[in-house]
Amino acid sequence: MTSKFDTAHHAGQHWSVGRLVRVGTLALVAVVFAVPIVTFMLMSMRREDEFGNIPGGIYSLEGLSLDNVARNLDIILTFNNGLFTTWLSNSMIIAVAATTLAVLSAIPAGYAIAKLRFPGRSVLRFVTLLTMVMPNTVLVIPLFLEVNAVGKVFPMFSIGQLWPVIVIMAFYPFGVYLAYIHFLTTLPRELIEAARIDGLSDVSIFFRIAAPLAKQAVALVVFFSFVANWTNYFLPLVLLPLAKQQPVSIGLQHLIAASPIFDPTKSAGLAVSLWMPQLALATTITIIPLFILFIAAQRFLARGAVVGAVKG
Amino acid sequence: MSATAIPNPRRPRLRSPLWAEARAALILVAPFLFLLLVAGVIPMLYGIYISLEEPGGGYGISAYGRIINDFRFWDTFIHILTTLLVWIPLMMVGVVGLALLVYNSPGRYGSGMRFIYFMPGALAGIANIMLWLFLLNPGDSPLDPLWDFMGYTTINQVAHPSHMPWILASILFLQGAGTWLVIVNGGLNGINEEVMEAATVDGAGKVSMAWRIQLPIIRPWIGYMALLNVAYGFQLFIEIQVLGAVTSGMISPQWSPNQLSYTYAFQVLDRPAAAAMAVILLGISLTIGLIVIERSGLFKDADAM
Repeated sequence: MTSKFDTAHHAGQHWSVGRLVRVGTLALVAVVFAVPIVTFMLMSMRREDEFGNIPGGIYSLEGLSLDNVARNLDIILTFNNGLFTTWLSNSMIIAVAATTLAVLSAIPAGYAIAKLRFPGRSVLRFVTLLTMVMPNTVLVIPLFLEVNAVGKVFPMFSIGQLWPVIVIMAFYPFGVYLAYIHFLTTLPRELIEAARIDGLSDVSIFFRIAAPLAKQAVALVVFFSFVANWTNYFLPLVLLPLAKQQPVSIGLQHLIAASPIFDPTKSAGLAVSLWMPQLALATTITIIPLFILFIAAQRFLARGAVVGAVKG
Repeated sequence: MSATAIPNPRRPRLRSPLWAEARAALILVAPFLFLLLVAGVIPMLYGIYISLEEPGGGYGISAYGRIINDFRFWDTFIHILTTLLVWIPLMMVGVVGLALLVYNSPGRYGSGMRFIYFMPGALAGIANIMLWLFLLNPGDSPLDPLWDFMGYTTINQVAHPSHMPWILASILFLQGAGTWLVIVNGGLNGINEEVMEAATVDGAGKVSMAWRIQLPIIRPWIGYMALLNVAYGFQLFIEIQVLGAVTSGMISPQWSPNQLSYTYAFQVLDRPAAAAMAVILLGISLTIGLIVIERSGLFKDADAM
C-alpha cells in the first residue's frame, strides 16, 4: 500500500503531537493485546511446582527454560497414550480436507455468479450471502439431527465419522463471496469475450483463464476457511463422540477437564499431571499452524480484496 | 460496486447461445450447490420438520411450547442481551479506532501492529478460553494486580455469574478485534488514493481526513460488523460452557440459548424441543442476515458481466 500519499508522509519524519498520540495509542493497545498471550506462552517454559509462587512473579523471566518445555512436552505427549498427537492429526486431516473442498467448490461458484448469466443466479447469490452472514453454529443441532438420520442409511456418513464433519465444514459461502468479489473486480469482461471468440467454452475459460488469475482469492479462501475449520468446536463436539476421533479444539477441553487446577480431586494418586505450564504449551502448539498461515498470507490479507465490494 | 464502473455496452451476440452459458454455470456451481443443500438448506428444513414432531406422533407446535416454557428460556436471552450491551459498543469503538490508526500508520509499524492485534484471534475457540482461564485464575495471572485490587483470590470470585457480561465481552473483543480490523482495514485500503491526495492538497489534517473521509467510507462495514457480532452473540456456547465447567457449577449449564438447545438434544433427549430452540435462533440469525444484506448497502447486486 505504498503510494505517493504515504511517501510524502514518510518524507516528513517529524514527530508532531498527532503522530505521537497515534503511535503511542497503537503501542499501548498492542501491549494490552500482547501481554496476555506472551505471558501465557512463556508459561509453557515454566515448571508447575512454581504455580502461585513463580520466582519474581509472572512478568519475570526467571525460571524459564527450554528443559522445562521439553519436560512439559513429554507430559502432554504421554497423556492418555499419545492422545494429543492423535487430536493434532485429526485436526490437520479435517482442516486440510475441508479447506481443499471449500476452495474447489467456492472458486468456480464465485466465478459463475460474477461472470455468467444463468437462471437462478440472483437467488443463489442471495442464499449464499444469507448463509454467509449467519454464524456457523446456528445449524449445528439441525445438522446433528440430519447426520443422525442420514447415517442410518449411509454408515460412512454417520455420527462418529470424519466425512460429515469435513463436508459440512467445506460448505463455505464466505469463500464464494470472496471469489465472486475477486472476479467481479479484477477480471475484465473483454478477456472473457475474447476467449469466447477464440472458441473456448465457458467452462474452459474458467479453468484456463480465470482460475490461474485467482491466486489472491484462493489465498484468502484458504486462510479464512482453514482458521475457521481448525478452531471449530461445536460441530465436531456433537458429530464426533469419541475422544480419539476429535480434533485438538475439543482435545484442549479434555486437558482442562483432566487438570487439577480447577478441580483438585483430579490430582489424586497421579505422580504427574497437567498444570498451567502443560496446558499453555499444548495451546501454543495448536496455534502455531495458524500463525504460520497468517504470516504466509500477510501480503494477500493486506491487499484488501476482502472488501473489494465497497470500492468505486 | 466497481461492476458499475465499467460501462456495459451491448453484449456481442457472436458467441454461443445463452443456454450454453447457463449449462457451464451449472457445472461450475454444482459442487457448491451440493454443499449448500447438504450443509445449509436441508438441515434448516429438517430442523423445522423435527421441531414440529409431537411426542405422541403426528405434527404440531408443542415443542415450541415446551422450550419457551422452560424456566431458563428467557434467562438465556437476557444473558445474551446484557453481554451484547457491553460487547458491541466496545467492539465498534475499538475496531474502528484501531483501523483508522493502523490505516494512518503505513509501512512496517502499521502492519506489525495489525499482526499483534490479530494474534489473539488465532486463539479462537477453546485455545482462547484456555488463555482466559490463565488470565482469570488469580495466582499467576498477569491480571493479578487487578484481582488483588478487587480482592479476589479464586476463579470462582472472578468468574462470578454477575461478571459474565464483562468477562465475555473482553474475551470476544480480544478474540475478534484483530480479524475485524483486517476486514475494516481492507475497506480503508480500498479508498481511492486520489481522494486522499486531493484532501491532503486541500490542507485537511489527518484527524479531519479520518473523520470526514475515511469514517463515512467504512460506515457500511461498521454496521455489518455490529450486526454480525449481534448474530454471533446469540450463538455463544463454548466460552460459557468451559467457564461453567471450571467454576464448580456456579454458572448455569443452560446459560446461553445454544446451551439450552444442547441440553435438550443430549440430556433431556427431547429432540423436537432442541430443534425448536435451533429454529428460534435460526429465525433471529436470518432476520439479522436479511437486514445486513438489504440495508447495509454492501451486497448490492451487480449484474453478471
